[in-house]
Amino acid sequence: MNLIAPTARLIDAASGDVLGGTDLDAEVGRHASAYAGFPPGVVFARTGVSVPAVLRYTGALRAARPVALLDPALDPAVLADFIRRFEPAVVVGVAEGGPGAAPGECPKQYREVDDPVLGPVWVRDRASADQPHPDLAVLLATSGSTGDPKFVRLSRTAVTSNATSIARALAIGPDEIAPTSLPLYYSFGMSVLNSHLAAGATVLVVDGGVLAREFWQAVQTYGATSLAGVPYNYEMLHRIRWSPAKYPSLRTLTQAGGKLRDEMILAFHEKIAAVGGRFHVMWGCTEAGPRMSTLPADALPDRVGSVGPALDGGSFTVLAEGGRETEDPGVVGELVYRGPNVMMGYAENSADLSRGDELDGVLRTGDLGQLDEDGFVWLRGRLKRFGKIFGIRVNLHDIEEMARDQGPVVAVSGPDKVVLFVEGIEPDEARAVAGRLAERLKLHRSGFDVRSIERLPQLPNGKIDYRSLEAQV
Amino acid sequence: MSLTDRLRGVFVDALELPEGTDVENLTYRGIEQWDSLGHMTLVAAIEDEFDVQLETDQVIDMSSFKVALEMLRGLGVDG
Repeated sequence: MNLIAPTARLIDAASGDVLGGTDLDAEVGRHASAYAGFPPGVVFARTGVSVPAVLRYTGALRAARPVALLDPALDPAVLADFIRRFEPAVVVGVAEGGPGAAPGECPKQYREVDDPVLGPVWVRDRASADQPHPDLAVLLATSGSTGDPKFVRLSRTAVTSNATSIARALAIGPDEIAPTSLPLYYSFGMSVLNSHLAAGATVLVVDGGVLAREFWQAVQTYGATSLAGVPYNYEMLHRIRWSPAKYPSLRTLTQAGGKLRDEMILAFHEKIAAVGGRFHVMWGCTEAGPRMSTLPADALPDRVGSVGPALDGGSFTVLAEGGRETEDPGVVGELVYRGPNVMMGYAENSADLSRGDELDGVLRTGDLGQLDEDGFVWLRGRLKRFGKIFGIRVNLHDIEEMARDQGPVVAVSGPDKVVLFVEGIEPDEARAVAGRLAERLKLHRSGFDVRSIERLPQLPNGKIDYRSLEAQV
Repeated sequence: MSLTDRLRGVFVDALELPEGTDVENLTYRGIEQWDSLGHMTLVAAIEDEFDVQLETDQVIDMSSFKVALEMLRGLGVDG
């Protein structure tokens, strides 16, 4: 599979090296060939923000090896458990660095090899008995992995069709230059990479994120044209009074990964519109590889709060009460997405990797919402109880279970954090619980707000009154 | 208390640094605690402690303890 259009380029901001055209093609080919020496099976790629990481990923795709993109800061015990359950043929990016990055020991049944092209890798002694399905291309760990992380299985068709649909919706052409503002193992970050490569555009590979000096230096030096962010990125930029006026090349801002407050959407829309640019609110989930909808920039400010219509090739319906599926405007229910980018299914172990498509292009999103007369989606909250912390989905029920030893507890979703109400918890204990959850879920502790409550409120039927707790957040 | 000591205290509190951390040689993203969220907490703590308001570029340029120290000196903050 070749995701990369002929005019696509990679710029390494750290070195200034530019890789494009036949050189890029040859490099990807060289990386693809390097996989030939390993036993058949999937690739685990510890993926930081670096040109070598991009080449290991795109090389695996071209070699028709399903590739799992993994956070290099993944806890070594969690990585070891992933390897044990999924039996990858090879783990690449073993030396991938960054704060908190440590791969741990080379696991049993693997040997460490310093590959001349791929760098240090762990190679499996023998192929796994379970071989991946031929359609499988990319595996992404589900965010909000709470104790039992699993993979989303994306097919070749899902990855390529989503990349081209995104490029169309955002009018990404060969002149676009996108900096890597998000981690590449994160579905949104991956989609920025894929959509630009597929459109023959340039990806400016720069580590550090939107608060790093190197990032903005690279934006200026190389004339980056767009910026992708999750709500907390925009909250931070707002907090430091950032303005796009200083960066004349930067004209497209995109936002996904959770709900950004309407006033914040409007503020950034106004800032970027004032300099002739556009702000796009988008909606997606890892299970859709990830993009499902994009709000056209000219729909702001009138339709603020909507996440727009389905991407090209996709469509939405609403599952109304009683199980009736409808496109009628104004009916509230679970949103169902159909499109070629819907995942094949989940995988919890190596046997699951052999499975074919189990969803047939239909994804129940778990989000409540409604459509308007133009097919624009208006979200109305989660059907199941999930929260989002810094763009990462977490299961509120699982979080409650982790804090259950402190007494009766309820977790509710706040803006970019989870608030836990625990009956009669002491301040010291509350801090300890926040710290423990942060460590367990690998998220910053400011994402957890643990509060004491005398008694959890109940509805007349004895069930917990979540609404009244949400109102206190 | 010297400016260095005050700033060290702000770093330790804001980033919840373990005892014995070599604070004066810290760099942004050099340790897990000083990530983007840690940075925002740190900026707020510095603004509180020294009664200053940092500009966008100052927040982005504050890539190490030493840079932060020089920046505060440049703003006329002393011990």
